[in-house]
Amino acid sequence: MKKETPIISLQNVRKRYRMGDAIVNALDGITLDIMPGEYVAIMGASGCGKSTLLNLLGCLDQPTEGDYLLGGQNVSHLEDDLLSKTRGKKLGFIFQSYNLIQQLTVLENIEVPLYYQGLPPHESREIAVRLATQVGLGKRLDHRPNELSGGQQQRVAIARSLANDPIVILADEATGNLDSKSGEEILGIFEELNRLGKTLIFVTHDPAMANRVSRVIRLHDGQVVEDRPGGLKHKTASPNPTPAPAPAEAIPNS
Amino acid sequence: MIFNTTTFHILSNPRHLKRSILLGLKSLWMRKLRSLLTALGIVFGVSSVIAMLSIGEGASHEAQLQIKQLGSQNVIIRSVKPSDSSATEAAATVIAEYGLTVRDLDQIRDTVPGISIVVPARASRAFAWRYARNAECDVLGTVPWFPSMRNIKVTNGRFFSDVEMRNRVNVCVLSESAARQLFPLESPVGKTVRLENTYFRVIGITADNPQISADSDIGNNSASDSDSPDENFQMLIPLSTMLERFGEIVFERSAGGYTWEKVELHEVVVKCEDPEAVVANANAIRHILNRNHKTPDYEIIVPIELLRQAERTKQIFNIVLGSIAAISLIVGGIGIMNIMLANVTERTREIGVRRALGAKRADIIFQFLVETVILSGAGGIIGVALGLAIPLLVSQLAGMTTIVGIGAPLLAFTISVLTGIIFGIYPAKRAADLNPVEALRHE
Repeated sequence: MKKETPIISLQNVRKRYRMGDAIVNALDGITLDIMPGEYVAIMGASGCGKSTLLNLLGCLDQPTEGDYLLGGQNVSHLEDDLLSKTRGKKLGFIFQSYNLIQQLTVLENIEVPLYYQGLPPHESREIAVRLATQVGLGKRLDHRPNELSGGQQQRVAIARSLANDPIVILADEATGNLDSKSGEEILGIFEELNRLGKTLIFVTHDPAMANRVSRVIRLHDGQVVEDRPGGLKHKTASPNPTPAPAPAEAIPNS
Repeated sequence: MIFNTTTFHILSNPRHLKRSILLGLKSLWMRKLRSLLTALGIVFGVSSVIAMLSIGEGASHEAQLQIKQLGSQNVIIRSVKPSDSSATEAAATVIAEYGLTVRDLDQIRDTVPGISIVVPARASRAFAWRYARNAECDVLGTVPWFPSMRNIKVTNGRFFSDVEMRNRVNVCVLSESAARQLFPLESPVGKTVRLENTYFRVIGITADNPQISADSDIGNNSASDSDSPDENFQMLIPLSTMLERFGEIVFERSAGGYTWEKVELHEVVVKCEDPEAVVANANAIRHILNRNHKTPDYEIIVPIELLRQAERTKQIFNIVLGSIAAISLIVGGIGIMNIMLANVTERTREIGVRRALGAKRADIIFQFLVETVILSGAGGIIGVALGLAIPLLVSQLAGMTTIVGIGAPLLAFTISVLTGIIFGIYPAKRAADLNPVEALRHE
């Protein structure tokens, strides 16, 4: 197998918090590489540091020590505006509680990341319509989040996370608020995305997820205690380190 | 740093601005009632400022106009019925004797330097008749140069001449309203009117001059207010004619019955050549009269002093108004700030999401500032509309003069928007400074 550059590379990353008088080592020397096209589940009991890790990976927070290379760029000590820019350009977020903006319609929600990228309205509108159609919400473009079911809202969130064509998608308990049927639908979309070459990182405490991903990383007390292949077996579409496919190719037309 | 290059980038890009405004409108629309109530603070602030300014401006304009009509170089001396002569009212047939005399006038002319003209005037109240029509007029006996000194315009015909004055001719000049009353269908010039049993030929019409106030009306000093004539009926006749035809005793109706009054001169206007000397001359005149009259049966009006007083009053008014305006706008601004802080707290998670999706600090600041400016701007616009409507209503209903300049609405609106920006910065900055991680975790 050809040597690939990791899409995410953490080198001895530490994160310390001060809680009152005590200093908490939320992350205690984590070193790991994630390759393009991987579908990683980060697991562990609550308090193990997985949320902290996700925040670091999502450039929402910065490590106290160590380096974080995202797509080859060291982002561990970037200033705030550049962090925002990095998030907007390279990362897609999917949250447990969908986090759609209530006053905006489905389309406008999908457009939010593009808006901050400064894309002209007609272009971002085009992308948003295409993505909304691809996640099966072509008939609900002008609905507001409170008019949609949880599963539908999460599909909007997925479309939103894909809008800026990120190199990594970070999902935080993305199925945690959904019934099993809707959750299954969402996981199906994730698998499909991964099959088409998207790199996905899924944070969960659900042990069953181990069978649905290609790699499982288990954290305990801020350290990686387990790193093994997961149960998901499918041939990824792009084994070589080609740039991540455009959203248009990412999901087949439904 | 609040405003960095990104902010200017956003501001310079109209596409962004348009979308930000749309987004702001959507967010405000979600909280309609709250937004409305918040904007109301600014609405009332702005509208009250404009309304008060225009009413105040109108009132002071009217006062200044009246004072200017008296002539800024003039000193006006009027006979006033002494207040302690209430006995005359009880005894209805006693002749009250008071007021300025020709002797006073001669002394003033001889002692005070730099006086150009002295206009003596006498006044009485009488019915003027034209066949069956009548008008209760202030009949004013005066001199030919009266119009030029009192800034009274002769709109039709002419004023009486020196010759007519000397010869005691029965001519008269009517004020416009009196002319309308007596001659509704024809031109009065050349026609005659009857005053008691004397006929006067109308030779001219003057514009109605606004009254200083009902009480200080010429010839109205001693008359009771209840039967003050309609509007401003005035009939001007040569002083000489008046003295000859009606004598020195004036017959007045009053509440208790009838009064006869003996007043030589009701009013004297002294015009000073040097505008700077008006106040000094007024003091000299006061001094002379003080010596001649034991009781204060005269009053001295110095229009220039009144004018200065009016200007001072206006200044004080403006300061008071300015403070009220400032306070009301600060209150409105605090209201906006309060609501925007609540908005920021409520929308913490939205802010976190936006930050996660690539929004910079400046984007968040801009978003919230746009909202406050929309709030205050909309409040300002409604306030201006209301502020323009109130003076209109006041002048319609109360008959007060109001003057709405372009300056007041513009100023009030600008200040309201500035208030929005100033009071919006803190909440917006607070929103932008939220830690994205904590904002996302916010319930």
